[in-house]
Amino acid sequence: MSKYFEVRWHGRGGQGTVTGAKSLAEAVQGTGKCVSAFPDYGPERRGAPVRAFNRFSDNRIRIHTPILAPNVVMIVDTTLIGTKSLVEGVGESTIFVVNTEKSAAETKSLLGLTTQTVHTVPANHISYRLFKREIPNSAMMGAFARACPEIISLDALIEESEKIFSHLLAAELVGKNVEAIRCGYNEVQTL
Amino acid sequence: MSDKYGLKDWQELPLGGVIPEGGNAADYETGTWRTWRPVWLKDGCIHCLTCWVFCPEGAYVLKDGKTPKGKDRKEIREINYYHCKGCGLCAKECPVNKKGKTEAIQFIREEI
Amino acid sequence: MSKFSAITGNGAIAEAMRQISPDVVAAFPITPSTQIIEDFAKFAADGKVDTELITVESEHSAMSACLGASVAGGRVMTATSANGLALMWEMLYVASGMRQPILVAVVNRALSAPINIHCDHNDSMGARDAGWIQIYAENNQEAYDNMLMAPVITEHADVRLPLMVCLDGFIISHSIETMQLEDDSKVKDFVGEHTAYHALLDTDNPSTWGSLDLHDYYIEHKKGQQVAMENVIPVVEEVSERFYQEFGRKYELFESYCLDDAERVVIAINSVAGELKEVIDEVRDAGEKVGLLKIRLFRPFPYAEIAAALKNCKIVTVLDRSTSMGAYGPLFVEICSALYDADPRPMLYSRTFGLGGRELLLNDIRDLFEESKRYLDEGKIEKRSYFLNVRGG
Ligand code: SF4
Ligand code: SF4
Repeated sequence: MSKYFEVRWHGRGGQGTVTGAKSLAEAVQGTGKCVSAFPDYGPERRGAPVRAFNRFSDNRIRIHTPILAPNVVMIVDTTLIGTKSLVEGVGESTIFVVNTEKSAAETKSLLGLTTQTVHTVPANHISYRLFKREIPNSAMMGAFARACPEIISLDALIEESEKIFSHLLAAELVGKNVEAIRCGYNEVQTL
Repeated sequence: MSDKYGLKDWQELPLGGVIPEGGNAADYETGTWRTWRPVWLKDGCIHCLTCWVFCPEGAYVLKDGKTPKGKDRKEIREINYYHCKGCGLCAKECPVNKKGKTEAIQFIREEI
Repeated sequence: MSKFSAITGNGAIAEAMRQISPDVVAAFPITPSTQIIEDFAKFAADGKVDTELITVESEHSAMSACLGASVAGGRVMTATSANGLALMWEMLYVASGMRQPILVAVVNRALSAPINIHCDHNDSMGARDAGWIQIYAENNQEAYDNMLMAPVITEHADVRLPLMVCLDGFIISHSIETMQLEDDSKVKDFVGEHTAYHALLDTDNPSTWGSLDLHDYYIEHKKGQQVAMENVIPVVEEVSERFYQEFGRKYELFESYCLDDAERVVIAINSVAGELKEVIDEVRDAGEKVGLLKIRLFRPFPYAEIAAALKNCKIVTVLDRSTSMGAYGPLFVEICSALYDADPRPMLYSRTFGLGGRELLLNDIRDLFEESKRYLDEGKIEKRSYFLNVRGG
């Protein structure tokens, strides 16, 4: 692991992409790592492509610059596939986590990837099942734990998320979000 | 230390220009500003206190008194010329003066 | 117990305000400082602070209400940015002239026009002559720590001046970073009780505030203000030392990073210092003697201390994140003043960057160090001053 482990999220305004990055940061923070989470602020319009960033490190994070060469790309909205910014700065070992019901193989070719690992997770589907709405963040976080266990394990993610959600949500919703994390983790397809 | 005019050095000033005491307008002699002088005429006065209300310097001095029917009231005693700056508001607003038949406040040039 | 948290810069300021629990907060929220007041309003509504929160109709009113509440005898705070600070302008001078220890968290943002919500320092730099103490912060930890130290500095008997805690808009205000929040009761002890000075609400001892001075006294009052500002320097040192004893994080008038033996030094304010340190580590690894002097206290400006810290360096690059149109950037001007008497005087030049949130990437900073190396080798400054990262050069 280089100095900073860097994650770049791609979604659309209104989907909670920024919140996703923040929640992941808080959870990883709980495990004792240093974290940062910050959005790429433009005009905040519903539906417009948005990016958010995470850095994780064992040491204090000093830099605030946008992430140009991510270790992980989190794609919260598959309709973004085809936009150049998804693969900007991507290296041979960059990991992709994609919210889609398509197969990992199809997704990989749609993204035009070769050496990179692609993890797909039907996060919208999971979210509909549990919440009857499209809030893919928790399932995406579960998939992240599957893709990057060196940053956070499933158990730690669940433990930290319970703490975070219990400050914000009713007990029933805390349980459902934990379920969404678990489903996200379990339903990952990797290629 | 203060200078030859009695003005204080910066170290002696309370902070921020605060005046750390109340009621010190009483020490300020505005009487020196006067070029016209109101003269209160006891006989014409009905003690309505309009002059006392309007006077910006609080120059009218009151005393306890009684109405013709014997009820308690405040009455004008005198004008304090240490504070009267001669603005003439009192003479202008006095209802007795306004009626024009007689005067309760005469407003005259200061004599040299 | 102090605890590590992942929290935004704005959230950290709001936490500090909750822990200090001032008597009055009067505010009119503006991007990017909005979350401070949002969070604080929630604390007030939830009964977590004893503060009287006054929601006003403009920033001019916010500062006016703060002033009134401070003169009345309260500990008073607010937060603002950019155009909001600009609308407070008239009252900023009244607050400092009346020696009221009001605190403002300034989340630095560019001033219109064109409309821009992103970071630069033109807002607080424009207020540098307003008689306010200004303390700058690299990250959310420093912003929080400065907030905790601020009441102790401003209310010190030798000081009694208002203070701005400045942090970068969005880059810090909206970024979650790992930081350490201190225990409520320890913070309360550190900050201490507010002591009012001739409070208007002390009706047994009436006083008059806001009266007139003519040429007989105005300049004596201004001299008092100037001396109080000069007193800030030892007070900041003393309070920072006490903070270090209490909480273990060390602060000085400015931060020296790899400065002792540095030949080439960059001077900068706020978040860009993080990127600079990152690159300095790299350049140091390659054997080059480079360093950073990060401004913390900008008003009062510690001229002598900065000159002493730079006595061994050969070339200084000053990064200004604000402009004084038609003149050099405000930081560059101060550094030139500080070094005028230095013998030998290092080579000096100025670069303006980041206006309206324009990024300065690590590669840009690498280029900066290349440039200073070239200037030093050639023994001459090719360009005294220009804007970095501008299309068209
Ligand atoms: S002239 Fe003016 S200052 Fe003098 S008593 Fe009348 S109202 Fe008062
Ligand atoms: S206003 Fe005229 S009548 Fe009334 S109290 Fe004064 S002097 Fe007397």
